Amino acid sequence: MLSESFLPFFEWCGNTWLGTTVRDTVWAFPVIETFHLLALAVLLGTVLIVNLRVFGLGARDAAGPQTARELEPWMLVSLAVLILSGIPMFLSEPMKCYESVSFPIKIGLLLMAIVWHFTIQRKWRGKLTAGFSILLWAGIGIAGKGIPYV
Amino acid sequence: MSLLTVCEWLQNMPWASGVKHSAWQFPVVESVHSLALSVMLWPAAILDLRLLGLVMRRRPVSQVASQFLPWTWTGFVVMVSSGVILFWSEAVKCYNSPFFRVKVILLAIAGVNALLFHTTVFRNVDAWDQDAATPWRAKLAGGFSLAVWIGVVAMGRALAYA
Repeated sequence: MLSESFLPFFEWCGNTWLGTTVRDTVWAFPVIETFHLLALAVLLGTVLIVNLRVFGLGARDAAGPQTARELEPWMLVSLAVLILSGIPMFLSEPMKCYESVSFPIKIGLLLMAIVWHFTIQRKWRGKLTAGFSILLWAGIGIAGKGIPYV
Repeated sequence: MSLLTVCEWLQNMPWASGVKHSAWQFPVVESVHSLALSVMLWPAAILDLRLLGLVMRRRPVSQVASQFLPWTWTGFVVMVSSGVILFWSEAVKCYNSPFFRVKVILLAIAGVNALLFHTTVFRNVDAWDQDAATPWRAKLAGGFSLAVWIGVVAMGRALAYA
């Protein structure tokens, strides 16, 4: 799916010190992936908790907007952990990512989600924007899971 | 009949080997299993963090529990159903993996910890509901729960590669 002009960059990534170290250390990948997955749970969990409220789901008491405020820092920290753990995983197998359809979709959705979160999502919180937020972030997780397969 | 024989029998069922060998079924169930962590684990962790006094310090513990525990139970149902399918389709691999055994033991420990918490210190929650600093037994239950669940996720990942 990716144009061949990207190939030298992906090859270079695979030869970086971090890439070869993660590849050559047996336990590195699953350990990093554990942190990646835990951070995904925090981020996607927060997105669901905050946005499903708009549809009247999952909030049994009056704590609504306060919940969103209290969880926002956790969402940003988990996003940072996701990116920081994602980079070494990518560097350890860039050719798999290059050949995968899921990887460019994931990166595209991620960039969209970040822009979306800091712009439109900040200003409007209706059903449409809430639903779109959930789809965006869940799509990133699904595309990520798809990298080893397609 | 040994446990290994049972695992072989499970795995060889037509639907189970269908899941394992289909191009998309196993990855789809695995995605559901991973994404549902966000519904089960993070809401449970929010309660644990409240017990440790790290989030929502000004909100009553009982309010945090009643807001987030229904999420955890919903997510738990999805985790267990998708987890059973994953196990069933590669039961022999799980049988042979030490990580799977540790994962099952950790799950049992997490269950016992939650049960103990709800039947003991949480029963008197009225006495400390508003406190930012909860009793030490509540803190212990929260910290222990967080550690055990991180272990469960780590064992799941290790299992996938071993």
